Amino acid sequence: MLTRRAALASPFVLSALSRAHAQAGGGTLRIACTASLSQLDPAKTTIAEEYLWCNLAFNGLTRIRPDLSVEPELAESWTWSDDLKTWTFKLRQGVKFHHGREMTSEDVAASYRRILDPALVSPVRTNYAMIEGIDTPDAHTVVFRLAYPYGGFADILADRQAKIVPHDALNFTQAPSGTGPFRFARYTPGDRLVVVRNPDYWEGAPRLEQVELRVMPEMAARLAGLRAGDIDIVWELNPEDIKSLRDNAALRVESVATASWDAAIMNNSIAPFNDARVRRAFHLAVDKRDVVEVVLFGEGSPTHSPIPPSHPFFAADVPFNRADPAAARRLLAQAGHPNGVKVPLVIPVGRPVRERLGVTLQQLARPAGFDIEIQRVPFARYSAEVSGKAPLYIDGYFARPTLDTATHPFLHSAGSWNARLWKYSNPKVDQALDAARLTGDAAQQKPHYLAMQRALAEDPCGYFAYAVNFAVAYRKQVQGVATHPMRWFDLRQAYLA
Amino acid sequence: MLLYTARRLLAVVGVVWAMSLLVFAVVHLLPGSVAHMILGEYATAEAVATLETRLGLNDPLWLQYWRWFSGLLRGDFGASLTMDRPVAPLVFQALGRSATLGGLALALVAGIGIALGIHSAVHQGSVADRALTLAQYVFIAVPEFFWCILAILCFAAWLGWLPATGFAPVSEAGVLGWARHLVLPVVALTLGLIAHVSRMVRSSMLEALESRYVLAARAKGMPERLVLWRHALPNALLPAITVLAVDAGILIGGIVVVETVFSFPGLGRLLVYAIEHHDLPLLLAGMIVVTTVYALANLVADLLYGALNPRIRHGGTAA
Repeated sequence: MLTRRAALASPFVLSALSRAHAQAGGGTLRIACTASLSQLDPAKTTIAEEYLWCNLAFNGLTRIRPDLSVEPELAESWTWSDDLKTWTFKLRQGVKFHHGREMTSEDVAASYRRILDPALVSPVRTNYAMIEGIDTPDAHTVVFRLAYPYGGFADILADRQAKIVPHDALNFTQAPSGTGPFRFARYTPGDRLVVVRNPDYWEGAPRLEQVELRVMPEMAARLAGLRAGDIDIVWELNPEDIKSLRDNAALRVESVATASWDAAIMNNSIAPFNDARVRRAFHLAVDKRDVVEVVLFGEGSPTHSPIPPSHPFFAADVPFNRADPAAARRLLAQAGHPNGVKVPLVIPVGRPVRERLGVTLQQLARPAGFDIEIQRVPFARYSAEVSGKAPLYIDGYFARPTLDTATHPFLHSAGSWNARLWKYSNPKVDQALDAARLTGDAAQQKPHYLAMQRALAEDPCGYFAYAVNFAVAYRKQVQGVATHPMRWFDLRQAYLA
Repeated sequence: MLLYTARRLLAVVGVVWAMSLLVFAVVHLLPGSVAHMILGEYATAEAVATLETRLGLNDPLWLQYWRWFSGLLRGDFGASLTMDRPVAPLVFQALGRSATLGGLALALVAGIGIALGIHSAVHQGSVADRALTLAQYVFIAVPEFFWCILAILCFAAWLGWLPATGFAPVSEAGVLGWARHLVLPVVALTLGLIAHVSRMVRSSMLEALESRYVLAARAKGMPERLVLWRHALPNALLPAITVLAVDAGILIGGIVVVETVFSFPGLGRLLVYAIEHHDLPLLLAGMIVVTTVYALANLVADLLYGALNPRIRHGGTAA
């Protein structure tokens, strides 16, 4: 007769036990999404739901950690030349695509050549315009040759579209294949995308059996599904819904700081904001902490620039001033507006948080002599009618993957977004942003970014109101998920308790 | 009759063709372009220009229309510009799901609407009739999306009896799960229309009951049941058929709302997606299907009307 001990020791039982252990916490995780995914080709993705898919099924050479620093992913390590123009990446070995073939340097080179190919029209093509050539000296080494020195090169490789895809299997509508923790199972546009566990994942198989992205356009339906237990995760919560969700014992709400920001964009080439004193007066008039309370119900934090307070390079020594209407009035008088200024403010219809920001600023800036007249314009007409034309308007930008892409285009006098937004020029800011590009070492970049924020606080380009939080409601049994500030979920360790 | 049907079918083709021209023109009048939608918020002007050239959006409008139309003549609906996948399977799969929703709703509207209308006409002035009249006004006046949200909050979030979403594939949820998901959207879709149809049936039934032929039938001592079913009802149903055909159109509009709120992956939401993304091939294919369904519903109503009403049938060229 088999004793209990003998049974436990027998190889069959042991393997059965370990199988059972591997499957504990498995099952299907159901995530509610707002929009239907249009694209499953990472190089062409443009919306948060698609980025979520990119991070489930694919890997990049590098990835962004929850603290927004960058770590190796498919690249094991990298080095750069002294002139910052030659970047050599050593690839991880033994990584397999979902269709079974091993990933090599050729796939990496082909993935970037795809993005750079004008015929593909990838929305991020210009972000990689500095790449002049890609060499593959051996199967596990990739060398990027750049047209100009770029210290943040390893960082931009972590972007959502820059995923490594197999050069010989690019059927993204029927059978997409990547190296990520989950494999494509099926997709019904408008309904659901289903991915299943990749048992051969190079970091170890995830515990979840299956993940479903359910397309549910209506927030009331998403929240009802969550409360009823048909849905496990609802993300992008409205700030006003958070409190009641926190009170629900079956749910856990996580609200993490992100680098997505909203601002009152001031056109520096049109009166009255062409005068730096008027821009400064506006900062004296409105306390950003009040704005966060009123607009976001506290689910965000004031910031000076696109660098959020959650980032290690945030200039914590630059204070946010208390509202001082008297001082603001004095500054306005010096600028030639003794009776205050009257200015129209355009707010985007259909973006409720930003509409609220506009109305809040109108009310809070009034005592300081800013007579703001609200103009409501549908967001779809913004790029044609508002950006670069209105003297003052509310807009916001989603977090960029790296500090350079988040700041240089927006604040440098030659920056592409600056030309569209504020038309701002500050030699100190230019100098700091240029200097930060000239080193590949994050520690050496830090003083330059701090200097940029100080210069910007002295001479603001516009009113950076806050960095918004990314708020997610989970059913309590969902465990091991990291809520990522780039608005996605790291499900490698996730399980259902 | 055959000639009449053939002529009407030809007219349907004409209507669909005119609609395609209209949709094509309207999409070009809308602000924004599909290139902006494909490339997202951060597109550079250069990328937009490249994509517009690649998609042939800079060609003369007649050439763009002809490209689409000649494809259609070959039976090719084209590919979605934003999804890079063929339009036909997208549209027909969505149509199948919407048809289930719409078919169930229409059957309920016809059955319950007519039954309620008859009941309140026969029991005119009773408590039930008065309660029904009040309910009819409420359901006709309050729009679908209100009932949708209310149903979700009440039956899904609060009571937890039914799912908050409208669709679960049979392969995953089983037939029972599939049916459970359909309950709330079908109910939300039918409330207003049942009120509408029962109102019409009630008044036409009242009219019939006061007619001379009903008086004659009663006078000759016919049992009341026979008077109702043989004499009054067939005449009272004629207007109901017209109303049901019109309601088929209202239903198509209502389905857009219901599908959005209940996360139902049907044709209505596909159309909304196509409009939002300026995805012309997808929109045109979807609109062709919707227009055809509506035109055919009207044709069926007219034929049915003729079949039920000899005066029209023998009159030859009605409608």
